Amino acid sequence: MAVKEMPALPNAAAQAVDVQERKKPLGRRIYEGRVAYTMLAPTFVFLLVFMYYPALLGLYRSVFKWAPGLDSDFVGLGNFIQLFTKDRVFLSSMDNMLQLAAWYVVSTVGVSLFIAVLIHRLRGGRTQYTFRLGMILPVVIPAIVPLMLWKFIYDVKVGPLNAILTWAGLESWTRAWLADPNVALYAVMLRNFPWVDGVAILILLAGLQAIPYEIVESAMIDGATEMRRFWSIELPLIAGQIKLITVLTIMWGVQEFTAVFAMTQGGPINSTMVPGMWMFFNAFRINKMGYASAIGVVLFLLTLVLTLINMKYITTEEY
Amino acid sequence: MSAVVTETRGQYRRSRGEQVGLFLRGDWWRIVLLGLFLVGGIAPLVMAFLISLKTIPQFARQPFALTFPLHWENYGFAFEIVLEFIKNSMIVSGVTVLGVLLLASLSAYAFGILEFPGRQVLFYLVLSLMMVPSAMTLIPSFVLVKDLGLMNTYWAMILPWIASGQVFAMFILRTFFESLPKELFDAARIDGASEWQGYWRIALPLSKSMLGVAAILNILGTWNNLIWPYLTIQKQALLPLTPGLWAYQTEYFTRYGLTMAGLLIGSIPLVLLFIFTSRWFVAGLTSGAIKV
Repeated sequence: MAVKEMPALPNAAAQAVDVQERKKPLGRRIYEGRVAYTMLAPTFVFLLVFMYYPALLGLYRSVFKWAPGLDSDFVGLGNFIQLFTKDRVFLSSMDNMLQLAAWYVVSTVGVSLFIAVLIHRLRGGRTQYTFRLGMILPVVIPAIVPLMLWKFIYDVKVGPLNAILTWAGLESWTRAWLADPNVALYAVMLRNFPWVDGVAILILLAGLQAIPYEIVESAMIDGATEMRRFWSIELPLIAGQIKLITVLTIMWGVQEFTAVFAMTQGGPINSTMVPGMWMFFNAFRINKMGYASAIGVVLFLLTLVLTLINMKYITTEEY
Repeated sequence: MSAVVTETRGQYRRSRGEQVGLFLRGDWWRIVLLGLFLVGGIAPLVMAFLISLKTIPQFARQPFALTFPLHWENYGFAFEIVLEFIKNSMIVSGVTVLGVLLLASLSAYAFGILEFPGRQVLFYLVLSLMMVPSAMTLIPSFVLVKDLGLMNTYWAMILPWIASGQVFAMFILRTFFESLPKELFDAARIDGASEWQGYWRIALPLSKSMLGVAAILNILGTWNNLIWPYLTIQKQALLPLTPGLWAYQTEYFTRYGLTMAGLLIGSIPLVLLFIFTSRWFVAGLTSGAIKV
C-alpha cells in the first residue's frame, strides 16, 4: 500500500486510509490495477507459451510412450519404473552426476575461498585490484573455448598432457584420456585446472570485504594469528556466501550436460553419461521422447527437493 | 599497535617506495601464489595462440614452441568463417537482451511499485519457474518451436530465451525498484504523472546500472548456450558463435592452426564487451543482487 509508507501521515490516519482502500469492491480494485496488469501482460504471454506450457507438457508426456508423429501409449509410471529398475545407463549416469557435482562443489568452494582470502590479505591496493580483475576476466571467454581446448589437451596423439608426461619420463601414464572408460569421467571432472571460478571469487571477496574492520582489528590487537583470524572470524562471517555458492553449484551440477556433450557425448561406453545427456540421447538420437521427458521430470523433482531443503534448513543469516 | 592497523589494510595511498617495502615484507608469496593460478588458467589460451600460428607440417614437427615463419593467415581464414557466427550471436543475443530488459523492467515495476489484487499469487507463479530446470522444458520446447515453424530462424532462439531470461532479470530489478524511495513515486503521482511516466521517467533512469547488470548476465547466458541452437538451427549460416565454434572445430579438427585461431577470434567480442562494462560487471556480481 503506497499510502502506508508515507511518513507524513500519522499512524491512525494511515490506517483509516488503509481500511478505506480495502473496503473497495474487488472489481473496482482490479479496474484500478489495470496499468499493472497491462505491464505484466507481455511477460505472462511469453511465460505461458514458452515456459508453463512446455513444463506442463513435459510432465504430461512423461507418462506416455511417445515419439513425434506416432500414436502415444499411456504407460502410467512405467517410464519411471523402467528408469529406476531396468535402465543401467540411467542409474550409472546418476552416480556420475553425483560425483561430478560433489567435485564441482569441493573445487569451486575450496579454490575460490583460497584465492579470495589471498587477494583479501594483499596489502597493496593496486595489486588487489589487478588480481581481482585477472580472476574475473576468464568468465568472458565463451565456455565452449576452454572445453575445446581441454579436449585437445587430453588428445591421445597430439595433446600436451601426454607430451608433458612423456617428457617427465612417465610414459606409462599416458593414455587416451577421453576415450578410456576408466579415466574419462575424471578427465571431464578435472578439466579447467586450476579451477579458478571468477564469479565465486568475487562473491566471496565481497563477503570478506564487508566484514567490519573493527572486528578484525580488535582480534589482532588481542594477538590473534592469521590462521585464527581466518577460522574464527572470517569463515563464520562469510558462511552465507559459501552456502550460496554451494547451493548454486549443486543446482547447476544436477542439470549441466554441456561439458559432457561437447567433450565426450557421454561415451566411451557411457562412462561419462549424465542424466541430462541421457535425456538428450533418448529424445533426439533414438526418438524415445516420452521416456526422455520422464528423465526431465526426475531432474525437476531433484531440483525441487534440493530447493526445499535449501529453504528449510539453510537460511542465510546476516550479522 | 597502530602499526598493525595501518599495515594490514590496503586502503591508504602509498608511494612507490612504500609499495616495494610492502612487497618485501609479506605480499610477495601471496603474489607468487596468485600469479601461479593466473598463469595456470591462462596457459591453455597461450598454447592455443602458439599453435594458431602453425601450418600442419610445422605442428607435426614442433607442436608447442613457436615455429617460424609465423602463419598469421590462419587468422584470416578463421575470421571469414567465425565472423558469420559472431554476427548471428550479436543479433540473437542483442534482440534477446532488449526483449528481456523491456519485459522484465515492466513486470518488475508492477510487482515492486504497484498495488493490485493478485500481486502475491502472480509473483509466486513466476517465482516457481526458478525451480524448473531447463532440462525439463528442453523436449517440449523443441516440439513447440518445431510446430510453430520456427526451426532454422533466429526466432527459434530469441523467443524462448526472452521467456526464460526475463525471470531472473525481473527478480534483480524488482529488488532494486523496491529499494527506491516510495516518496519519489508518490510525489510524481500527486503531480499528476501516470504510472507509465513513473516507469519511464523515474524508475528506468534510476536503475541504469542494474539494467546493465541484468543485461550482461543475460548476454553471458545466451552467448554460451550450446545445446538449444544445436537442436533448432541446422543451417550453418544461422549458427551463433558457441555451436558455430563447435561445428567449426569438428570440421577442421586436425588442422590445429586453423581451429585454434578460430577459438581465439571467437573469444574477442565478449572480452571487448567486458572491457567497456567491467565496472557494472563487478558491481553486479558483488552487490548482493545475485542472492535474489
